[in-house]
Amino acid sequence: MSVSQLSVFAENQPGRLSRLTALLEREAISIRGFAVADTGDFGIVRLIVDEPKKAQSCLQAAGFLVQANDLLCLELPDAPGFLNLVVSAMADAEISVEYGYSLVSTYVVFKVLDVAFAEQQLLKQDIRIINQSDLV
Amino acid sequence: MNIQQRAAQPIFNPKFECASRDEIRCFQLQELRKQVAWAYEKVDYYRQNLDAAGIEPGDIKGFEDFSKLPLTDKTALRDNYPYGLFAVPLDQIIRIHASSGTTGKPIVVGYTRQDVEEWRYCIMAMIQQAGVVPGDRAQMAFGYGMFTGGFGLHYGLEGLGCMMIPASAGNTERHLMMIEDYGTTVLVATPSYAMHICEVGEELGFDWQKSTLRVGLFGGEPCPPKLKSEIEKRMYITCTDNYGLTEVMGPGVSGECLTSRDQQHIMEDHFYWEVIDPESGAVLPEGAEGELVLTPLQKQGVPLLRYRTHDLTSVTTVPCGCGRTTARMNKVRHRSDDMLIIRGTNVYPSQIEDVLADVEGASAHYRLLVDDETGLDRLTVMLELLPFAFTDSFAEMESFRVQVADKLKGVLQVSVEVKLVEPGSIERTMGKTQHLEDKRKR
Repeated sequence: MSVSQLSVFAENQPGRLSRLTALLEREAISIRGFAVADTGDFGIVRLIVDEPKKAQSCLQAAGFLVQANDLLCLELPDAPGFLNLVVSAMADAEISVEYGYSLVSTYVVFKVLDVAFAEQQLLKQDIRIINQSDLV
Repeated sequence: MNIQQRAAQPIFNPKFECASRDEIRCFQLQELRKQVAWAYEKVDYYRQNLDAAGIEPGDIKGFEDFSKLPLTDKTALRDNYPYGLFAVPLDQIIRIHASSGTTGKPIVVGYTRQDVEEWRYCIMAMIQQAGVVPGDRAQMAFGYGMFTGGFGLHYGLEGLGCMMIPASAGNTERHLMMIEDYGTTVLVATPSYAMHICEVGEELGFDWQKSTLRVGLFGGEPCPPKLKSEIEKRMYITCTDNYGLTEVMGPGVSGECLTSRDQQHIMEDHFYWEVIDPESGAVLPEGAEGELVLTPLQKQGVPLLRYRTHDLTSVTTVPCGCGRTTARMNKVRHRSDDMLIIRGTNVYPSQIEDVLADVEGASAHYRLLVDDETGLDRLTVMLELLPFAFTDSFAEMESFRVQVADKLKGVLQVSVEVKLVEPGSIERTMGKTQHLEDKRKR
């Protein structure tokens, strides 16, 4: 299970993000979700794509700093209370979330220390857990 | 004449400061000859150098003979770190000071009791020509520490009979409070920090016109005329800047009088000056711009013969409207090497290069940016990350950045901004890379 996220180092300057997205477009890589965060001086662009390995190698070849991580990915029904259900279950299991964001459809990802453990804890809930092949 | 009597008159030592050029030259030659003999007898480095040049102290009959002596460069101080150039046993040294060097090791100088007294004398003469009088209340905004500026000015101001307020550097709001509460009349600061105090004061509604402050004594970094007149206008004070360097003594080598505002009177009773061509080393005629070479005339602890300052200036001996006949040098704005002065502290790009070379995760490519957008000098070191040093965690990246900044501060003695940039974003050029961009307006 789990999905692969690519984190890309980006300076906080106009045009940095488009250089990255243009590259992925050229390689016909589909971005399924992304989050951009910054500290003022530099940012980290986090991407969930359909072909993470291909994306990573083409980004690195273009000189980007890329790191791949495994994230917990869930499909939440589009109705009130489901995000609460999930984060409460994780809180009960003492799983801390570093960050999270939503993808296409009603998918959300969470950065947690131990993805397998989190998935195991969430099996008890009526929540669909997503893996990489679901994103293609 | 004692100090009180001297301080009470408009010129500290008129007998020397207003003497004829012949009298000044005659005194200097006599002191120079003694100083060459002292250095030769007491310091192996000079004895070997003079022996190699085939010169004996007795050969120095005139200034032309003196100018045949080898020049002394900073490397001599560095190579003999810490005590190799000291001319007296350490139990006769009552204080040491140090300034940053190019390789992480500072250069160290030592003062005998007489040296400290002579230095105090230079400061007293210098601040008096800047308009300071006994009874002034002087607030120190230089750091104390190993830097010569703080203690140098402190003892000179006390010596003249001022009340010292040893506030030290930093904490601008506290400085403002002290100026108001203690009735400060003299501010000792780098010009950029004085400007910062001025601006912070204005933001907080401080009324400079009503303030007791009337004199600014600037040093530690070059003071552009525009900045000085700006501070004078906004703080309602008279500012003078002075010149000096740790190697020859500290501040007090030369300073402005209130008549010739763009030049500084050299304390010629304590220093012999020459201006040389920095390339060939040849002595240049009076008035020509070149590198200033200084020889302290009475220095016991660490005598220096023909010390290369790397500061570019020109000197005139035309008498000044203030009545003094001592030579005046133009303000130093440029150096013959690549030293940067950041908030009064000397920084060499090579020091930064050395620190970065030891940082795992930093590439060899870096760039320096200096600006003063915030009112103070700011040095930003842009460094390229190596792929393995990048992580998805902001906390880890930030701690890497802070760690590099701390390492740099430890060596440079001045805080710097570290900015992480994308690999390849620093321009590569063939040959000598331009590492530095100085965008300071002042």
